[in-house]
Amino acid sequence: MQYVIVGIGGQGILFSSRVLGHIALSRGERVIGSEVHGMAQRGGSVISHFKIGKYSSPLVKAKEADVLLAFDQNEAIRNLHFLKRGGKAIINVHAPEAFENESLKQFLKGRDIELYPIKGYEILKEHMNGRFLFLNVLILGAMCGAGIGNVTIDEVKKAIEDLAPPKHIEANLKVVDLGYGAMAK
Amino acid sequence: MGKKMILLGNEAIARGIVEAGCEVACAYPGTPSSEILPAVAKWADELETKTVVEWGANEKVAFEMAAAASFAGKRTCAVMKQVGLNVAADPFMSVAHFQLKGGFLLVVADDPGPHSSQTEQDSRFFAMFAKVPCFDPSTAAEAKEMVFDAYDLSERHGIVTMLRPSVRVDHCRQDVELLDVLPIERPASFEKDVKRWVCLPAHVKINHPLLNKKNDAIREEFEKDFSKYNYEVPAEGKASLGIIAGGISFAVVMDLLTSMGRKDVSVLKIGTPYPLPTKLVGDFIAKHDKVLVLEETYPVIETQIIDRSKVLGRLNGWVPRAGELLPEVVEEVILKALGEEVVSSSEEEYLKKALEELKIAPRKPMLCPGCPHRASFFSIKQALPNAIYPSDIGCYTLGVNQKTVDAVIDMGASITQSSGFYLAHKVDGAERPIVATIGDSTFFHMGLPGLASAVYNKHAFVLAILDNSITAMTGGQSHPGVGEKLRKEDEGRRVDLEGAVRGCGVKWIKTVEAYDVRENKDLVKEAWEYAKANKEPAVLIFKHPCMLLRVEQDKIPVKVDQDKCIGCKFCIDFFNCPGLVFDEEKKKAYIDERFCVQCGVCINVCPHGAILGSNGEEA
Repeated sequence: MQYVIVGIGGQGILFSSRVLGHIALSRGERVIGSEVHGMAQRGGSVISHFKIGKYSSPLVKAKEADVLLAFDQNEAIRNLHFLKRGGKAIINVHAPEAFENESLKQFLKGRDIELYPIKGYEILKEHMNGRFLFLNVLILGAMCGAGIGNVTIDEVKKAIEDLAPPKHIEANLKVVDLGYGAMAK
Repeated sequence: MGKKMILLGNEAIARGIVEAGCEVACAYPGTPSSEILPAVAKWADELETKTVVEWGANEKVAFEMAAAASFAGKRTCAVMKQVGLNVAADPFMSVAHFQLKGGFLLVVADDPGPHSSQTEQDSRFFAMFAKVPCFDPSTAAEAKEMVFDAYDLSERHGIVTMLRPSVRVDHCRQDVELLDVLPIERPASFEKDVKRWVCLPAHVKINHPLLNKKNDAIREEFEKDFSKYNYEVPAEGKASLGIIAGGISFAVVMDLLTSMGRKDVSVLKIGTPYPLPTKLVGDFIAKHDKVLVLEETYPVIETQIIDRSKVLGRLNGWVPRAGELLPEVVEEVILKALGEEVVSSSEEEYLKKALEELKIAPRKPMLCPGCPHRASFFSIKQALPNAIYPSDIGCYTLGVNQKTVDAVIDMGASITQSSGFYLAHKVDGAERPIVATIGDSTFFHMGLPGLASAVYNKHAFVLAILDNSITAMTGGQSHPGVGEKLRKEDEGRRVDLEGAVRGCGVKWIKTVEAYDVRENKDLVKEAWEYAKANKEPAVLIFKHPCMLLRVEQDKIPVKVDQDKCIGCKFCIDFFNCPGLVFDEEKKKAYIDERFCVQCGVCINVCPHGAILGSNGEEA
């Protein structure tokens, strides 16, 4: 299983791969992934690679990712080439009209890629008082809701209970459900 | 089997350092090495070892502290990024000749790409230059294991030993096995011995041949005794191609061959690139018709190969000579070496077209919303728009976005470049305003010598020290101007920044709140007038805590009055905040509340008074 997680520095994408890693390790599987630290974290494009299984390299090669988790729609589109034929993407969408672009549709059709858009900012504004740092768990919840990514919502919740600071656990779990609910609709 | 945990490569290296009984660990932060020392402190607290863990003011300081602790018999380490070793090059070259007592591990993190550096230099070359053995890990788990062998080698041969993880190893996350701490009881005992510890030329005449002998002996060991790091993964049947791969490139090659379904390629992994086990490598080459060498970033293994007639590498143009060897790049190189076609899919063209049509480009790094540096740069630019702006290494290099960073070389060079610019104009009898910017940590790192020199030589410029009370770019480490230390209950003392500046002989010094852009604009002008009149540097310290420290501050919600905004983009060009963006269709600026942190500084930015506090504050 190979994941690519993309977004903008400061959005908290690293926590998502920590959750996935925690789940895999508790199942007794091997994990390896790659993160971005340093200058790019200052508001620039960031990408996290994550692989579960017998791999040596932390990097996902183009056309081999099973799942793309995108915290920003522009970063999503820039990184769609990582998805394999039949790959799936959860995308936090803020300007849905971009997905009407014909060339983009051609690409997605040609590679049989399925997109799962979620209006993350709207949801967090409505339910979480605009605390956009919860995007990471919202997207993980959405991934479970869409039935992709090969992890269950219970596993995600358990991992968050183990990893998140105690005072934030409850809020995090609430947001996982929000993400799950948005997809299951 | 010990317990398994998912660790960042740097945390794994740190764990290895503590487990191996290191008692003195020193570093200066720099991506991609920064997480190592804090993790050493964390593991040392957790495992209750005595290890002292300290940030030096710069890499040379850290290296020399670690070196002397080794002279006294302790297991020590110095940790830095690749350009940090340039700063520590002097002691590194020198200490290489010493017959050390305690094991001395030098961890140097390289940044092929580069992702967060001013060069993508290869530290393995530095190891070769200094004649120091080097380990080059392919994964986090291997990096941790190599720490033990590096200490062992260092103590058996009395030589400093380099571990060279590259960024993909430092920042990979992998399941790693945890072990207990090696019990090493070794009280500090420095035995005086001038021949051993004083690097007089006469002693070098003895020590250099000795260093050569150590190199020969270590090369022999790497040939035979290190098969866990240097080994062949054979092809099934006759190999169409041989690949020699080191470091992260080995891991990339192995995953690639699996996904390509190639069984006709054999791979020789090299984990000890210097001194190269040349016989092992020669035997591998002899078995193949052609051999591809993959390593990052310079041809270190390749140049050491004695007979290169069958070798395809960087020296003869088969492998790109710059940039990271990403899987896509390596795949193409392998196919080319095999003499096979590289097929590109037609779908990619649609995606390229979509990106063009939607005008989507990689997002450039920017200073964080609310960052005090943005306010400081704005004041400087408004005060002296025609000045030359030398700057330095840190988050504030991103002042390029505000057109207030004109020249950057390396740590501390904002000050020395100011001197150089001043002199270049002085010889012509001319004068031009100069405003240098440097961060607080960078000032303590290498700013002080430049400032003392500028005062001594009477150079006129304004030095703006952007004091955010942290080493920010690398993730928030402490430094002498902050005074906090890494281990629990470890006491440090803050060095007064203004006092240090005064001590260098600077007479005009003012410390200001960075957010006060209107007042600061006048002060920058005043500072330059003083510097010009008195032929000496004037120093303004812009103070405000880094946003990463999350210090509580007043929240001032802002809005852009859409009637008053004339769409001039002044705020975009000179303030450049992620929270203040431009609507290209409406030709108006607006607040992007996804990013705005309500610092309120931009209220004073718009020349047309279009940015308002929502409580009615107006510029």
